[in-house]
Amino acid sequence: MKQTLSIKLFSLLSIFLLMGGISLVFFNFYSSSKANIETLLKSNVQTNIFNLKHYLDSNLLENNINEIKAHLDTRAAINDVVDNIEIKDEHAGIIYSTKSDFKLSTAKKCIPIFEISNTNIFYNDCYSTKVKLYRGLKPYYYRVNVYLSRPYIDSLLHNQTIELIIEYFISLFLLLILAWTLVSKTIKTPLERLRQFAYYENEPPNEFFIQELESIRYSLKMTFKRLQKEQKELYKLSTRDELSGLYNKRSLIEKIEWLISEKKKKGETFAIILLDLDNFKTVNDSLGHNIGDKVLKEISQLLVSSVEKKDLVSRIGGDEFVIVLPEIDMDTRIIKVLDKIKTNIFAPNILESVKYRLTASMGVAIFPKDGKDVNILMRHADIAMYKSKELGKNDYHFYTENFNEDLQNKITMQNLLINALENDYFKLYYQAKVDIKTQKVSSCEALIRLIHPQKGLIPPNDFISIAEENNFIIELGYWVIKESVRQLKAWENTPLKNMKISINLSAKQFNDKKLVEKLQEYTKNIDRKKLDIELTESVFAENFDTQYTLINQIKSLGFSLSLDDFGTGYSSLSYLKNIPFDIIKIDKTFIDDLDTRNGQEFVSMIIHIAKMLKLHVVAEGVETEKQREYLDSIGCKFYQGYLFSRPLAAKQYELLLSDENSL
Amino acid sequence: MIKSLFLFLTLFLLACSSPKEEPLLLSTNQWIGYSPLFYAQEKGYLDELNIKLSNSVSLGEASNIFLISKAQLVTGTQHEYNLLKNEMNSIIPIILLSRSNGGDMILSNQSLEAIKKSKNITVYLEVDSINKEMIEDFIKTYNLDSKYMHFINKDQAKIQNIKFTNLKDILIVTYIPNNLVLEKRGFKELASTNKPDTLLVIDSICTSKEILEQNKMRLEALKLVIDKSIQEIMNDKVRAHELIKKELGNLSYEEFSNALETIKWINKPSQEFLQKIDSIGYKRENLL
Repeated sequence: MKQTLSIKLFSLLSIFLLMGGISLVFFNFYSSSKANIETLLKSNVQTNIFNLKHYLDSNLLENNINEIKAHLDTRAAINDVVDNIEIKDEHAGIIYSTKSDFKLSTAKKCIPIFEISNTNIFYNDCYSTKVKLYRGLKPYYYRVNVYLSRPYIDSLLHNQTIELIIEYFISLFLLLILAWTLVSKTIKTPLERLRQFAYYENEPPNEFFIQELESIRYSLKMTFKRLQKEQKELYKLSTRDELSGLYNKRSLIEKIEWLISEKKKKGETFAIILLDLDNFKTVNDSLGHNIGDKVLKEISQLLVSSVEKKDLVSRIGGDEFVIVLPEIDMDTRIIKVLDKIKTNIFAPNILESVKYRLTASMGVAIFPKDGKDVNILMRHADIAMYKSKELGKNDYHFYTENFNEDLQNKITMQNLLINALENDYFKLYYQAKVDIKTQKVSSCEALIRLIHPQKGLIPPNDFISIAEENNFIIELGYWVIKESVRQLKAWENTPLKNMKISINLSAKQFNDKKLVEKLQEYTKNIDRKKLDIELTESVFAENFDTQYTLINQIKSLGFSLSLDDFGTGYSSLSYLKNIPFDIIKIDKTFIDDLDTRNGQEFVSMIIHIAKMLKLHVVAEGVETEKQREYLDSIGCKFYQGYLFSRPLAAKQYELLLSDENSL
Repeated sequence: MIKSLFLFLTLFLLACSSPKEEPLLLSTNQWIGYSPLFYAQEKGYLDELNIKLSNSVSLGEASNIFLISKAQLVTGTQHEYNLLKNEMNSIIPIILLSRSNGGDMILSNQSLEAIKKSKNITVYLEVDSINKEMIEDFIKTYNLDSKYMHFINKDQAKIQNIKFTNLKDILIVTYIPNNLVLEKRGFKELASTNKPDTLLVIDSICTSKEILEQNKMRLEALKLVIDKSIQEIMNDKVRAHELIKKELGNLSYEEFSNALETIKWINKPSQEFLQKIDSIGYKRENLL
């Protein structure tokens, strides 16, 4: 294997080599500086000796040394380089020295000045030259020794050396930090990020400054992107059914397991529907497997189009499919989906000029009721599906019998309601609103009843909630309006010609955009003042502004408005203030509480507020004389309840009023 | 990789440590015999050899500059050569330039006869130069008595300032072109080196043996430059005068031309001449 080197080690090596280079530069600089100092010092010494020799050549005469002593002393004193000047006679010895205490013994050998180029100025203390004098034209010689100042010479090199060493180490230190920071920022850290990126495939690092590193980063990023795409495609291939493109069984199991863990945490439910095409074998046998596969594809698409996006459709093999409904907050949703699938599959189809019609048997299992793990849920859905097959196919069945029964009942009731409307099984019963003092009746409340030919009277509590659940209540509401109008018209030429009818409209009715239009149409032939509309506070629970506008439109048509069940809902006084009610109706629960002090005070307060707002008050559910008397005592004008009469069919109501003579 | 780095470092170190050729300084002074040097300088021949000239006021100053090792080469007569040899044994003449042929002379305010009779003669000379040999030869030739002479040592720049007077008997030892100003003031030539059997004054370039060894090729080239310069001066004196007149005290062309007549070039000496100068210390084996 080829020898490798870590970036860290390589960087350190490079930095050390750089440091070596810097050291060399400094050494060269030091040598150069030393050479310059040497040159300057030599030049200084040469110039000094040259000037001295020139002076002595011109001024030194035999026996006149005293005349030039002062000059020599000054020359030695003012010059930092020169320590002493000594003049020697070749025969008589020293004739003058500028330093009287200069010790000859300490002086080193004097080197002729012309040898200065070949000597080390930093180590030689003395240079000499000759001065020629003439006796007439006969020459004789004095030797001149010039001693250099050792401390001065040492200080020149010493100071320079100290300065350079300090500069060297500071520069080296700064360079080391700079080089290391630079290497770390631009190479080491980016490489480490690239390593992490390559190893963990996490977020790609930001762009790098070094072009080559940036190129690697970009290549890695692109490669990982391509790999991820391929990974996704592979995952899709592994999780999808090849024929239908739906999730395969393995993927379905994974998703159900994930759903179980999620729903378990939230305490919610979900449903799985196992669907098996009835007698699909005959399609394959009669039309061939090729057509059979195409039919399966069609069925797959049909199933997908029968459910919502949040639902999951899977083919688990052959002609078996599983539909997962993650959200089943309303039981009827399952039924809706089942019915839709059933209808869609049963619809006739044409494939390559071949007409076919299929049916399917379905079994439903609900988490967690029918099983807490995927295997049990699938098994139970399978059992339910086989039950459907046993019971004649082309149907669905729930694994839990009670749930199945409840749903079946609900479906029966929904069908019954539609049937009842078509067959006129709904009837309006009327309960009188009575003047509390005079016992006269001028208005009544219309209450809906379902009278089935076989099942007899079905109380509103059994069907109103179901009607609201599937919005049948809207259609039913319009029937009530039309029936009330019909009744008012019927009473027009009777003693009840001035009777006023109150009808109840559901909050869902107010969501119908055609409400005002239809009210207008249905009541165009009556005096609208005879029709009072009762509504509860729940109408205003959502979209107050929209509903407020709607109420005003209704009011402007000429209807009176009653606030029903006052006190049981949100009971906001702002409703009373802002909405143009004519009547408020005190709920029966408060009337039942009139035998307590608190109950009395509460009802008294409502009546007081109504008076202040100039609203009429009707007390509902008055059953005793004592209640009536108390209500009378606190100023309540009308009541409604069994004390006077229970709700009656129109003919009985008419009879009651004629008997009682209450009109 | 590591090997490559070390190789790079080694090459870098070698590149850093390559030596640089030092300039050579030639200490000289104003003298017609040194015209080839001034000419070579003006023509740039010396620059090509990295040789610089240092022009002093006198032969003595030029010698001192060489003596203190400020210059590596020096021009001078046999007088300077001998003086320097007295201090440094390694000095040798390497290139012969010229010999005086009337270029050195003795001027006076008196006639030769008057001088011979005089008992009080003031002699101005650059004593530490060939002037000394000149006056000694003059005394010897005309059998004069030096006890009647009062010697005043001055460099040639100061000698040029001497005023003409008849109050005292004056002898001035000088050389071209310093004589020209003095002659204009009235001093007359009593003796010069153009006379047969008078003193042989040789001008040459000297250096130390060490310098010669270290720069032999450059100095051989210098010899060729001098030969070439002499040739060019003699071929075109007008042009040469234009180039170097400022180095010779702004002398006129006529003065320059006359001055050239007072010297003989000895850059290509005959064997006889070499034999003759061998006795005064100019060894042929040292000459380039």
